[in-house]
Amino acid sequence: MNEDNKPLNPPSWVMRFLQTICPNYLIEEIEGDLIQKFNRDIKIFGGRKAKRRLVWNAIRFFRPGIVFRNTGSINLNALHMLSNYFTVAYRVMLRSKAFSLLNISGLSLGITGAMLLFIWIDHEMSYDQFHVAKERIYKAWNNQTENGHIRTWDLTPRVLAPTLMQEIPGLESAISYGAYQASYLFTVGETKILKSSGVFTDPEFLTMFSFPLIKGDPAKALDNPNEIVLTESFARELFKGKEPLGEVVTIEESGNRFEFIVNGILKDLPPNTDFHFDYLISWQFLESVGQKDTYWGNNSVSTFVKVLPGQDISQLNQKVRDIAKNHAEEGSKVEIFLYPLTRMHLYGGFENGIPSGGRIEIIRMLGILGFCLIAIACINFINLSTARAQRRFKEVGIRKVNGAYRVSLIIQFLCESVLIAFCAAVVSLGIVFLVLPSFNQLVQQQLTLHVQDISFWIKGVAFILLIGIIAGSYPAFVLSSFHPVRILKGVPGRSGNRNVFRQLLVVFQFGFAVTLIVSVIVISKQIGFVQDRDAGYAKDNLIYHQMTGEIAKNFQAYKNELLSSGIATSVTKTSSPITDRWSNTDGMNWKGKDPQENPLIERFYVDDNISTTVGLTILEGRDMNLEKYPSDSTAVLLNETAVKLMGFENPVGEIIEDNDIEWHVIGVVRDFILTSPLNKIPPMTVQGAKKDMFDVIHIRLNDNNTLQSNMKGMSTLFSKFNSAYPFTYHFVDQVYERKFSNLRTTLKITGLFGGMTIVIACLGLLGLSTFMIESRVKEIGIRKILGGSITSIIKLLCMDSLKPILLAIGLFSPMAWFSMNWWLQSFDYRISLGLSVFIIAAVAMIVIALITILAQTFTAARANPVNNLRSE
Amino acid sequence: MGKDYLGEFEELVLTMVGVLQEDAYGAAITDEIEQRLKRDVNLSAVHVTLYRLEDKGLIKSKVGGATKERGGRRKRIYTITSAGFAMLRNMKEVRMDLWKLIPQLKISGS
Repeated sequence: MNEDNKPLNPPSWVMRFLQTICPNYLIEEIEGDLIQKFNRDIKIFGGRKAKRRLVWNAIRFFRPGIVFRNTGSINLNALHMLSNYFTVAYRVMLRSKAFSLLNISGLSLGITGAMLLFIWIDHEMSYDQFHVAKERIYKAWNNQTENGHIRTWDLTPRVLAPTLMQEIPGLESAISYGAYQASYLFTVGETKILKSSGVFTDPEFLTMFSFPLIKGDPAKALDNPNEIVLTESFARELFKGKEPLGEVVTIEESGNRFEFIVNGILKDLPPNTDFHFDYLISWQFLESVGQKDTYWGNNSVSTFVKVLPGQDISQLNQKVRDIAKNHAEEGSKVEIFLYPLTRMHLYGGFENGIPSGGRIEIIRMLGILGFCLIAIACINFINLSTARAQRRFKEVGIRKVNGAYRVSLIIQFLCESVLIAFCAAVVSLGIVFLVLPSFNQLVQQQLTLHVQDISFWIKGVAFILLIGIIAGSYPAFVLSSFHPVRILKGVPGRSGNRNVFRQLLVVFQFGFAVTLIVSVIVISKQIGFVQDRDAGYAKDNLIYHQMTGEIAKNFQAYKNELLSSGIATSVTKTSSPITDRWSNTDGMNWKGKDPQENPLIERFYVDDNISTTVGLTILEGRDMNLEKYPSDSTAVLLNETAVKLMGFENPVGEIIEDNDIEWHVIGVVRDFILTSPLNKIPPMTVQGAKKDMFDVIHIRLNDNNTLQSNMKGMSTLFSKFNSAYPFTYHFVDQVYERKFSNLRTTLKITGLFGGMTIVIACLGLLGLSTFMIESRVKEIGIRKILGGSITSIIKLLCMDSLKPILLAIGLFSPMAWFSMNWWLQSFDYRISLGLSVFIIAAVAMIVIALITILAQTFTAARANPVNNLRSE
Repeated sequence: MGKDYLGEFEELVLTMVGVLQEDAYGAAITDEIEQRLKRDVNLSAVHVTLYRLEDKGLIKSKVGGATKERGGRRKRIYTITSAGFAMLRNMKEVRMDLWKLIPQLKISGS
């Protein structure tokens, strides 16, 4: 035992730890006691264990009874120092106004962008999280295996909910939610409103979810078949301020009229929900008029269940799985599973039966974008501060000589950056407040600043502090590291490493900017490309409207008058708008079909003359014409893709079996875009049909009249034949244009944030080049004296600034290529990514950078060398 | 109650200060409790309790001598005040009164 000879000392860091947490007047005895115990422990347990016990005992002094005894003078002193730091920071800011302005504007731009994105993310994350029992609510989904691949979707049969309730123990309630989007005409007194935003549901809907009723009892509001619940704003629209509760509303649908009693008023739905409706009607109503839907093959409603507290969902899922198989007649392959409501909005994507993200991917992208913006803004701050370090050498030196610790210098510089971050935050809060409405319009969201929320401010302040510390820590570390003697002697060491670090940060900034420029170019090119794609029909001067009210009955007269009055040149009834898919099937049969393969074929039903009305091109055969050929109600036109799929040499005259009817092919139409111009054109049949298939009327307007007179004439005709309904119509070209709205939003977001990134990066570049020129003033002077021309000096200075940018272009272009290629993969119809995109982006970046720095460089190069050198 | 109330551990430490007299400082009290009561106590807990008792005016302290074993740090010696003593005595009497009220061991027959 050598320990007695060589006394073991307690580790010094333990003592330091104690000194920081214990009040000064107690530290001596606490240390003493610990050391005494330590020395005794050595004798009993030996050195190592004694040390462990000492550390543990010391750590346990970190308790409120000790820590909170630290009061009085120490804190006050620190407070004074802190306020002094802020005073100094304020003076520094004022002294170099241009520098502070650059810093604050760069940071505030970054914070503004990030704040907008984070508000958006916050909004997306809050979808349907406000339901009190959200943890217990699940939505039923289906998995179906087709050719070894699992398809997953969330629409279920109406009978699922009651069956679940009957057969599965552990459920509190189960409801069906059917948003059929059928148009109904609401009448209250003189007010007539056409709405398609209603939902059929079970009475328990109101108690399952937390959509509060302003008036009425949620437990009883939908108890009877003829009761209806309206949202506040719809009720106001209908009743014009009169008391709606208990009043009667008449609802009309294709000639049938029903009277409902308003039995509840819902508070308007919040923007952060995936439920959208203006009114609720109970399923009992549909059942009371003989539309009870017990067919297991009709997947048309959402099913939600609320489980009893304490249920194990995986066990429940095992019981639920085979419920459809047990009930459906023809050996259904559908497996049902319950998926949490809380994951409905962001995690609704499934890949082969396994959850695979969904909207969360967009959210992640936005998050990355936000962090990059902040990072770029912080980089600006770091670069500008370290570049300007020389100006503050003397200050640091004097402070150190006067006895400042390095820690206090670091705190001082951090105070400066925090102050600047706060200024920037105040500015950006103002900007966000002003631009939020237009940003909402841009991204089609309803975002709000939760200013009344205390947690918003806490998060905000924490966020700003964090930014200030992140942005300020590197400069603080660099500035405080200078050696006082060398500074005051006048030989500040400029190390090359620091320069390299700065350049790397610039590379990152501009790399990100270049990536965004590439994205903007690629997205806009893709949009242009898709927009120029031939739709296959003539979109102009074509309108459609729903077949409402009496129009179905009066169609022939309506059509005749439209044609005879010269308003329209052709009118066709169809199953759906030409811009939408309506129905598809894998159950068609034709001669020579491979029985193993059941490809999905789109169906579009028309009465006749579709080619003249919509402007389709008939390649072979003829269009439908009921007047000449009454048998055309079972005629079918194929598109080119369908012909190819079916493998017909001479399609005209072939027979196709669908829905137990034999359809005879009378012609082939050129491929046209039904759904998305971004995707391949699917095989499609244009079929004749019986009356009840038609829901929409397409009208080709007469080019010879003005649009105004056409619309006026149509509106008079419409009300003549269908007086009860308002005349609502759609222009096909406008509806078609909406197919691009998602792409457009993407472009706008990328453009906006790309622009911000470039501006921030250029602000940084401006600051850096200013500094660089300032520090090389003498060099420029000497070069000029020795005969350097203005151009050569400009070239020299510009090359210095451009080098990191060129490097950024080189390094980040491949990354941009990969990410944009990945993005393009999601479209069938896409541009190929050529080199030109990158050249344009690179040139644009270089030009922007040059414009930023050229003015200063030019002034510096032209300055009279005498002025630069005289002060020596 | 309020100020008059002492927790079990507080009472124990207060008693120990009374017991140890001139030798009552943190480490010694801890050792004493460990030895006499065979109970594991943490040094920091004893310190905090001592400070709290001092705040309540039940003990007072003065700075004592240093030893080599303590790394040259001085002790803080605690002595019980008359208020503290009265408090202890009061508590003991209340306990005794209550103790007497407990029915003593009886052989419960029949």
